[in-house]
Amino acid sequence: MSFVEAILNGLMVGGLYGLFGLGLALAFGIMRIVNIAHGEFVVLAAYFGMILLTLTPLPLPIVVVCVAATAFVLGWLLQLALLNRFLGPNPVPSMIVTLGLSIVVRNLLVRIFGANIHSIDIGPLQNVGFRFLGLSIGAVPLIIFAVALLLFFGMHMLLQHTTLGRAFRAAADDFEILETLGFNRRRIYNVAMGVAVALAAIAGLLLAMRSSFGPFSGVERLLIAFEVVIIGGLGSLRGCFFGGLFLGVVQVVGLKLAPNSGPLFSHLAFFVVLLLRQANLAPLLAWARK
Amino acid sequence: MNLIALENVDIFYGDLQATFGVTLHVNAGETIAIIGANGAGKSTLLHAIIGLTLARHGRIVFDGEDIARVRCDLVARRGIALVPEGRRLFPSLSVEENLLMGAARARPGPWTLESVYELFPTIRELRHQPASDISGGQQQMVAIGRALLTNPRLLLCDELSLGLAPKVIADIYTRFAEIRERGVSIIVVEQDIARARASSSRLYCLLKGRITLEASSATVTLDDIRHAYFGDFLP
Repeated sequence: MSFVEAILNGLMVGGLYGLFGLGLALAFGIMRIVNIAHGEFVVLAAYFGMILLTLTPLPLPIVVVCVAATAFVLGWLLQLALLNRFLGPNPVPSMIVTLGLSIVVRNLLVRIFGANIHSIDIGPLQNVGFRFLGLSIGAVPLIIFAVALLLFFGMHMLLQHTTLGRAFRAAADDFEILETLGFNRRRIYNVAMGVAVALAAIAGLLLAMRSSFGPFSGVERLLIAFEVVIIGGLGSLRGCFFGGLFLGVVQVVGLKLAPNSGPLFSHLAFFVVLLLRQANLAPLLAWARK
Repeated sequence: MNLIALENVDIFYGDLQATFGVTLHVNAGETIAIIGANGAGKSTLLHAIIGLTLARHGRIVFDGEDIARVRCDLVARRGIALVPEGRRLFPSLSVEENLLMGAARARPGPWTLESVYELFPTIRELRHQPASDISGGQQQMVAIGRALLTNPRLLLCDELSLGLAPKVIADIYTRFAEIRERGVSIIVVEQDIARARASSSRLYCLLKGRITLEASSATVTLDDIRHAYFGDFLP
């Protein structure tokens, strides 16, 4: 695998990372909920997809749609039944609730599936690829990247060109005024959490085709989502997308340099970004120019 | 015929009582003004009417039904709209998107995007600008337009003149006649007493949460207003 191939693979993984971040940013931007269970939904989707693929003859695209729809309902119910009770200026109560939820989900997964690592086998499709300018490019990574791009584009259209999307943005700005215009903000929140969890689920399922997952993978996924949001900036679709790509590329290229490094390099890169953002760069640059 | 009547309304912020037994009414098609000093409870009253804060005691009867404990979005859908103090446009939406938010859950009625643009021609040219980029006066027009697009029967206007140039304020108030013509009743909360008198048929003065004056705007004397406003009831 050459460096160019590593970068291409990194972009694929990065697109999914971007989606993790987007779901988290959506929930925080609109209802000020930091969803600590975000990573668990990512993993839950992978398990659910695995079950559907082994127990039913459904083709992969249908499975993705099924998982996404189920995740939407789950997120919608979570907001309706639980999180709407903890709204308010203080984000801590809902953080504690979702932290508790993440612990419950994690342990349920261990109880049901055991602590083993799984991966989703998509059969011969895994090895389909083509050569282009001397590079071998897998069809699966390409499709996954296309799906991520499509979802980002779809979210852009939703947020910019539909009443629901405008209501999302307006709720983030000033929910009181939104209510004086006749909107029930809790209903908007329900849908927003549905969308956020669905995005996480699709990304989680697609990622499971490329890398393994276990009941404890959620924490790692949540960490990535946080890093994406912090690099990309809250409330920025484009920021999430490029933040995800950055982390994905750094991670895969890092893995090529040191195969046992795991996610080390992406976390390091995130750390460097944080440092650079804190640093006062102007005097440094002036000094460098001398 | 009363469109809305407040009967002995007490509003609290926690343990702090903001209004004491406020009773007032608006007839259908009428414009009334509520004047009073800072902190008198004017905005609080408007917020209680639309349901952003809940009245602890008393009744708010709108079109024959008590709405004192009805949720804000449901009150809005019954036909009450608020132009909030400080305008509070959605900053991440464009001017037109702000207006569309008003129209999205609207009751049937005469107000459309087109008729709002006719009322305020200036904002038509600005419709694709971010709402945070336009001037205060233009923002006020958008805030009024956004509220009108819900097709309210009662429009609550909170400190329209706050922070705006006198010419702009006059320009905005001249549109009130057109708004009234379409059957909208209006409650104006104002610190500018001359403006409040000129635009209303009756006015109420609020002092430390209590109504101290109810009078016809045309005949009330400045002395009466001064006494009600500052609380020195002795002549």
